[in-house]
Amino acid sequence: MMIWSGFLEALRDVVSAIMNLVATPVLIYFVVTNTLLLVLMGLAGWEFVRQHRRKSYAGSEQTVASQLGQGVSVVVPAYNEAVVIVTSVQALLALRFARHEIIVVDDGSTDATFDQLRCAFDLVPVQREVPSDLLTRLNVIDVHVPRDGRTRLVVVRKENSGKSDSINVGINAAVEPLVVFIDADSILAPDALISVTKPFADDPTRVVATGVVVRPINWCKVVDGRMVEVKLAKPWLVRIQVVEYLRAFMLGRSGWSRFGALILISGAFGMFRRDVLVEVGGLDPDSIGEDFELVMRIHRHMIKNRRDYRVQFVAEPVSWAEVPMTVKVLRRQRSRWHRGLWETLWKYRGMALNPRYGRVGLVALPYYWAFELVAPVLEFVGFVLVALGFALGVVNTSYALMFMAVAYGYSTLVTLIAMVIDELSFHKYRRWRDLGAILLASLLENVGYRQATAWWRLEGWWASLRGKKPVWGTMTRRGFGDDSPAVAALSRHV
Amino acid sequence: MNVEQVFPSVGVAIGLGCVSSLGVIVIAKIRRGLVRARSRALLAPYRGALITIASGEDEGGQAKVALGAAPPHIWSRLRPSVVAFLPKVRGVPAEELSALMRSHGEIDEARRMLTSRSAVGRARAAYLLGLVSDSDSVALVLPLLSDPAADVRMVAARALGTIGDPSAGSGILHALRTRRGQIGLPAWVAAEALLSMGVEIAPTLQIGLASDDPAVRSVCAVVAGHGTYISTAPQLRTLLATDSDRDVRAKAAVALGRVGGPDDAATLALHVGPSEKVVLRRTCATALGEVGHRESVEALTGLLGDCDRRLAELAADSLVRIGSEGIARLEEATTTEQGPRARAASGALELAALRGQLVVGSTGP
Repeated sequence: MMIWSGFLEALRDVVSAIMNLVATPVLIYFVVTNTLLLVLMGLAGWEFVRQHRRKSYAGSEQTVASQLGQGVSVVVPAYNEAVVIVTSVQALLALRFARHEIIVVDDGSTDATFDQLRCAFDLVPVQREVPSDLLTRLNVIDVHVPRDGRTRLVVVRKENSGKSDSINVGINAAVEPLVVFIDADSILAPDALISVTKPFADDPTRVVATGVVVRPINWCKVVDGRMVEVKLAKPWLVRIQVVEYLRAFMLGRSGWSRFGALILISGAFGMFRRDVLVEVGGLDPDSIGEDFELVMRIHRHMIKNRRDYRVQFVAEPVSWAEVPMTVKVLRRQRSRWHRGLWETLWKYRGMALNPRYGRVGLVALPYYWAFELVAPVLEFVGFVLVALGFALGVVNTSYALMFMAVAYGYSTLVTLIAMVIDELSFHKYRRWRDLGAILLASLLENVGYRQATAWWRLEGWWASLRGKKPVWGTMTRRGFGDDSPAVAALSRHV
Repeated sequence: MNVEQVFPSVGVAIGLGCVSSLGVIVIAKIRRGLVRARSRALLAPYRGALITIASGEDEGGQAKVALGAAPPHIWSRLRPSVVAFLPKVRGVPAEELSALMRSHGEIDEARRMLTSRSAVGRARAAYLLGLVSDSDSVALVLPLLSDPAADVRMVAARALGTIGDPSAGSGILHALRTRRGQIGLPAWVAAEALLSMGVEIAPTLQIGLASDDPAVRSVCAVVAGHGTYISTAPQLRTLLATDSDRDVRAKAAVALGRVGGPDDAATLALHVGPSEKVVLRRTCATALGEVGHRESVEALTGLLGDCDRRLAELAADSLVRIGSEGIARLEEATTTEQGPRARAASGALELAALRGQLVVGSTGP
């Protein structure tokens, strides 16, 4: 008994000492993180205002009508996408754009993905060779095109070798100077290609890549592959992700783009110059954060070769995709994202704080190291310490509550400001109840969700440090086509 | 003052910030709804008239009279709809809508705004003058081609293209140059504008093809090809053979494919050899198909086995485009050979059959 109470006393002293030591730095870290996010949002807001004012004379009609603008190859890697692939391809073929082709790369699907395509588009095999501009792991099995010979659709079949390798095959098959990668379950706005190619059209010599915000589609009404009504999903897990996407992905990345240091373009929808992709060697099939890794490689390549270039972000909501609806899938996704973040940051560690790499090296990368990679460690350690402190009775309750109120209150304020910017610029969620639900989600995010994601991110990091083989899981989706509650279960990369 | 003492005031500030943000969201949402409803109510009597004009059915001119008489507070709400219609209509509806804009003083206002201190104001003014094809404004819009704002330069070039006055051609070519760190006009915008100016632009093109600026030469080559300006062919041959800029050579090859004659097959064939850069080889292979003369057949057949498989594919497609002689060579390759040459030939023949480009009885799937 004496020993136990002595141990508890010692533990109290240790925990108390640690808490006294880290409380203020952690609070400062929290404040700095959110303030930087606020600065990025300010930059994003500035950019939105600029884009909004330009809209009236942007010349979208000319872009659509132009035969001189650059054409686009839309690459769709597909693995077991039988439920959505036909609708997706139909919607892609119907996109408003002067010159675009669709290249579906069937990555060895074990379901009816290819049969669905063959029936819907009357595909016939052709002895078309796929060039080897990029090295790929597995050879192409065959190439199919629609029997009419005119519809700009190419279906390339290959053995299963992963999403990145499939995209590389698609890049090889692409004939247009701009290449966009999208997930088969993404829904695009009819003018998506016009919006995303706009930076290339305005500054064709310097812009090498553009990214767009991908917004959660769960529960939205989709008819024939077209978004017809934006609705907020019912599960709180999805609602919280809506808040997250809005704050971190849309506004955060818009801010980085405005600052001239965008280093991450979502793999669900990114557009690149084909020649640049070939120069840098395409996507790395061994990377788990292949989208991040590709953009970093492009930055390094362009700066090393002293080329004037731009990587830009288009904030207009033109792409929608399903987000995880179960804790299991979300856990796997966040774990993979963080693992990808760590592995890419580590791979390009030589660029961080290196003046040669300008804003990317001096600002963006240090930010990602300090506030994206390390954040879950601090958040989790802080949570454990507070819990331990309460258990041991060494926490000043009023201080702890004020601490949490300030920290989470500030984070909620940042989310609300993100909502203000979205409401003033895009106002996609029109129903009052959706707005109320998003507000509530921004509060609920602090209770359990943040802590859980912090833990899952740490799991991903730890798995990488241990050299554990990355696992691609399965995702259960609703599919699209209508708003029926039927759940289409199919496996895809998560 | 320690951290603990600061907490309450920081908490209050954060709380106020949250409440203000909420207030902004709610006010913005309510205001948007009210504005929309009010606009809908105000514009309801005019919507039909606008659609009548835009669809070219205002034969009695009543719709035009009704919209022309719209009071200023209605016109300010109606104006965006008229501007949105303008790029989508041609002929009489476009003229009627332009006249409507003029009757409401929009053209005079746009001319005044061309010298506005705001770049957005200048761009909007130039855009509007282009939309209504106001030929009297060319001299006013031209200076905007050297505007400090890239947006304004681009909109001005488009506006001048829409107006279609060839006297603006040299100004557009001048705006292609990058000066004092200002990126010049995007090539495709300049090319579109020049193409809109019609055949009278030919002398300007000839001057541009001899420019010392590769961006200018490149755009002129694009326009020469797309507009089939046959008089530029000698200059294009020289550019293809001797220009120091790779992009200019490639653009000249494309243009030569469109405007060239039988003699140019040999010129283009010179540049499909392995000593040339990939882009130029591929461009010349395609251009040989565009020229479409039997003199190209030998050179293209020789490319079917090239290690650049995209080049082989383009060469095979070009053989199809040449017609019976090219197709015969492809068929020969599929029957007498194996390996990459046969594959490239089969692929092209299969696609040609699907597209109905082969005569009945030819090879096809």
